[in-house]
Amino acid sequence: MSWTVRMLNSSIGRKQIMAVTGLAFCLFLTTHLIGNLFIYAGEDAFNSYVEHLHSLGPLIHIAEMGLAFFALLHVSNAIVLIIRNRLSRPTRYAKYKSTGGRTLASATMPYTGSLILIFLIFHLLTLKFADHTDKTVYDLLAQSLANPIYAGFYILFIVAVGFHVFHGVWSAFQTIGLNHPKYTPLIRVAGILFSLVITAGFASIPLTIVLK
Amino acid sequence: MSEKNISLTLRVWRQAGPHVKGQLITYHLDDVSTDMSFLEMIDVLNEKLTLRDEDPIAFDHDCREGICGMCGAVVDGQVHGPETATTLCQLHMRHFTDGDTIIVEPFRSRAFPIIKDLVVDRSGLDKIIQAGGYISASTGGSTDANAMPIPTQTAEEAMDAAACIGCGACVASCPNASAMLFAGAKVSQLALLPQGKAEREKRVWSIVHKMDELGFGNCSNERECEATCPKEISISHIARFNREFTRAAFVSREK
Amino acid sequence: MHLDAKIPSGPLAEKWDKHKFDLKLVSPANKRKFNIIIVGTGLAGSSAAASLAELGYNIQSFCIQDSPRRAHSIAAQGGINAAKNYPNDGDSIHRLFYDTIKGGDFRSREANVYRLAQVSNQIIDHCVALGVPFAREYGGGLATRSFGGAQVSRTFYARGQTGQQLLLGAYSAMSRQIHLGKITMFPRREILDIILVDGKARGIIVRNLITGDIERYTAHAVILATGGYGNVFNLSTNAIASNATAIWKAYQKGALFANPCFTQIHPTCIPVHGTYQSKLTLMSESLRNDGRVWVPKKPGDKRAPEDIPEEQRSYYLEEKYPSFGNLVPRDVASRNAKEQCDAGRGVGDTGFSVYLDFHDAIKRMGEDAIRSKYGNLFQMYEKIVAENPYKTPMKIYPAVHYTMGGLWVDYNLMSNIPGLFVLGEANFSDHGANRLGASALMQGLADGYFVIPNTLGNYLAEQTLNPVETDHPSFQDSHSQALEKMHKLLAIKGKRTVDDFHKELGHVMWDNCGMQRNAKDLEKALELIPAIREEFWKNVTVPGNNDDFNQSLEKAYRVADFLELAELMVHDALARKESCGGHFREESQTDENEAKRDDKNYSHVAAWEYQGIESKPRLHKENLKFENVQLTQRSYK
Repeated sequence: MSWTVRMLNSSIGRKQIMAVTGLAFCLFLTTHLIGNLFIYAGEDAFNSYVEHLHSLGPLIHIAEMGLAFFALLHVSNAIVLIIRNRLSRPTRYAKYKSTGGRTLASATMPYTGSLILIFLIFHLLTLKFADHTDKTVYDLLAQSLANPIYAGFYILFIVAVGFHVFHGVWSAFQTIGLNHPKYTPLIRVAGILFSLVITAGFASIPLTIVLK
Repeated sequence: MSEKNISLTLRVWRQAGPHVKGQLITYHLDDVSTDMSFLEMIDVLNEKLTLRDEDPIAFDHDCREGICGMCGAVVDGQVHGPETATTLCQLHMRHFTDGDTIIVEPFRSRAFPIIKDLVVDRSGLDKIIQAGGYISASTGGSTDANAMPIPTQTAEEAMDAAACIGCGACVASCPNASAMLFAGAKVSQLALLPQGKAEREKRVWSIVHKMDELGFGNCSNERECEATCPKEISISHIARFNREFTRAAFVSREK
Repeated sequence: MHLDAKIPSGPLAEKWDKHKFDLKLVSPANKRKFNIIIVGTGLAGSSAAASLAELGYNIQSFCIQDSPRRAHSIAAQGGINAAKNYPNDGDSIHRLFYDTIKGGDFRSREANVYRLAQVSNQIIDHCVALGVPFAREYGGGLATRSFGGAQVSRTFYARGQTGQQLLLGAYSAMSRQIHLGKITMFPRREILDIILVDGKARGIIVRNLITGDIERYTAHAVILATGGYGNVFNLSTNAIASNATAIWKAYQKGALFANPCFTQIHPTCIPVHGTYQSKLTLMSESLRNDGRVWVPKKPGDKRAPEDIPEEQRSYYLEEKYPSFGNLVPRDVASRNAKEQCDAGRGVGDTGFSVYLDFHDAIKRMGEDAIRSKYGNLFQMYEKIVAENPYKTPMKIYPAVHYTMGGLWVDYNLMSNIPGLFVLGEANFSDHGANRLGASALMQGLADGYFVIPNTLGNYLAEQTLNPVETDHPSFQDSHSQALEKMHKLLAIKGKRTVDDFHKELGHVMWDNCGMQRNAKDLEKALELIPAIREEFWKNVTVPGNNDDFNQSLEKAYRVADFLELAELMVHDALARKESCGGHFREESQTDENEAKRDDKNYSHVAAWEYQGIESKPRLHKENLKFENVQLTQRSYK
């Protein structure tokens, strides 16, 4: 057992947990986006999709619990890693300039991650744990997104997700060790495309609602 | 090469000892030939300081041809200076312009405590190698060198990793002060070669834990190490390192 | 003093095996009772540390750098020789032996050189086992290339970083033993003196370069693997910290210094360009495989190289030495470059360089092939000179590179001080008057991996070595002398820096005891050097304290020794009135201006004994016997 514990507590082990959970969230984002896009098929279609989901019963609960567990792992590990990383350079440089490795996305992972976490809590409170007695999810959604300020924040957070994913996808593959001269460039491109699709897909909804 | 002379303002980190507070001190230097190397420029400054009976700037250096890995400082925010694939001793003043102000700082990392001025203690890198960066082959018992063919491509890739000079630039430039490229290069080299396969699980396991124990940070794939590495070692070796680690975790029979 | 080289009897090819059998052994249980000090962690030092620790000895290893991996062996580029005969081109142990002894202009011991050739193959085997990524052919077998002074392809290489890879191999073997507790590593230590007790080497004192403390260490035997003394010339291809203090202190304690004047001037270095220059950078000799050396035929021709038509170029090495062409040994290539430049045909701003042109090779094989062979060398050249060698020919000039001379050792690599062993470039043993390319790596590793593990045990088994404590009077004396010397250096507070004196010494040595020597210049040097030394001790300024991290003091301590060693080199050069290998006395040359040996009078090793700083050292001769090779005038035509 000590092997497993030591593995998971090591720098690489923790990063690999980040990678696996991160990729799982990418899958989740994909399904979530597909679901959200039902909104373009009209209110009924969207509500029926929501009902359909709810009708899955225990399955949906298992999935939710899984996601919550993954989120817990992802966030708690991130905190440990960020603290360790800060400690590993107690004195900062008077001047630090990138030599060309980092991107805006990679340099801001802790920040975009924090934004996403805040958004996630808010998002769950306003939609999932909101009072559903006399409103459908569509109502809640349309109502909140109709507020331009809310919509603006929503888009901002979606952009944060986009940035996070922009670096996260290829980074996760690299951390798991899936790197190959032939496929890594493809993974990079796929990661960028994925982040663009996710950002555009999610952001299009408030935009459509506000502009309507 | 057209040589000319430039004037510079240097702001150099001066710190008398490990536990003393340091600060950036400003020096002006005229008549710096653009054909000088960065270290020769510091030599010239040190000669002047010596004649003024001031303490010359302490800095590590030895071969001055970019292979021993002894030199290194952060020049204007960049490890080994603005040129890619270059050690500090191979950085030439032709890459600076007249009137420049240059900030020179030591490598900074918890694992690299400062000894004096620009000199840091990089023994952590040796400790990583001692943890397992070797093949346990004793002298005298080896079979013929050609007994085990190694495909050119494998040998070349191992050589790419083996080119590491252990200067610590990867650690210094990493936003997390991680030693993943240094350690990964060694693990990757020995994992690629058939001779290194016998110990691969033990090796990667010990190295990762030694690295963590020494206080190096984690890899967040920022790729600054690869961009700054004087030997241009690819982060694909970090990926192999990660892979070796996972493999070891599942394959090793130890509990 | 009788110099007994302890060369085993019997036929040449059987000497080493016979000797190994005759040597006394130390049982495995007893080996762990012996402490061995090894100073230096280059190829010789680190391979010795690793292999002796593997045998069970307790090793204390010392180096000046922050890590044993940084020793200057790391800078060797081209390769390592071995008589594997993988290419099937007629190589053999005997041929490697013959080439090496001929390359050394018949001034080395047959038995030593033969042993070197014999163990060369084992070195390659062991290095491969350690994970050294040598270049390979497509079939997976090891690749080789050719080097100067040989007509076979026997040089194994790892791109242009062979020294680095071999050193990292030895360093990794050493790291394993450090991990196992058999080697205790002391980095950032500089040796100050060797301690003799009852006439035997029993310890050292070192300066801890971080704290400035003088530390004392005892041992049953001391091994010096501290490299060469080329930095006596100030500008050389050696690392900045490379110094002679260890061997010089040993010499002052009674060890004989053999052939001190044998210096190798490497033909392919990046030329000198400014007074601030701190070192010269070598471009591997392997470049001469594909590069063609030329100068304009017309003296003073300042046209750009591409504007000089083929027929107005002089490919002087190819013209003069048709059979070896650009691959003549180093001393020959260096001297010819100097000759061309002295005749006004030199190129570049200073007129002290010749072209090394890859145009034809690129046309023949393509730029990519050249890049894969020499990419890192071309890159290094471009960084320093800011010219693209794929387009413009390289400019090169000879520079001090290696010292064949060193402490005298017998066949067991032990100096005349019992218990003091000397390995690698620090000894004089295998290269005679000129070292062939890719042979230094071979010798360093041969000494460390395969010779010393056999011969050290014999010494230990033969002795009764009483325990020695660090408060022994010998330690006290050396300690106070070293401290006194440092205090003196710090107290002078003169007007000139250490570097300034070092540069002056370098000029005197290069001008008078460099590529060509004559009695008049050498005698002049004998007057100049003591004068510089005298001024040094009156007018040098060394800032800081001795109980602190003080790089100026380190430098001053080293240069103080160079100032004494230089004089010994000149004495030796003056006494050897013949030309041989790297030692070219103008008075002794053939009609074609080649080195002319005088085998009747100088077929010996000149081993010098210290008589005090102000006195002339005493010369002892070890006569060289050649039973297996015919002494011939070296010819590379």
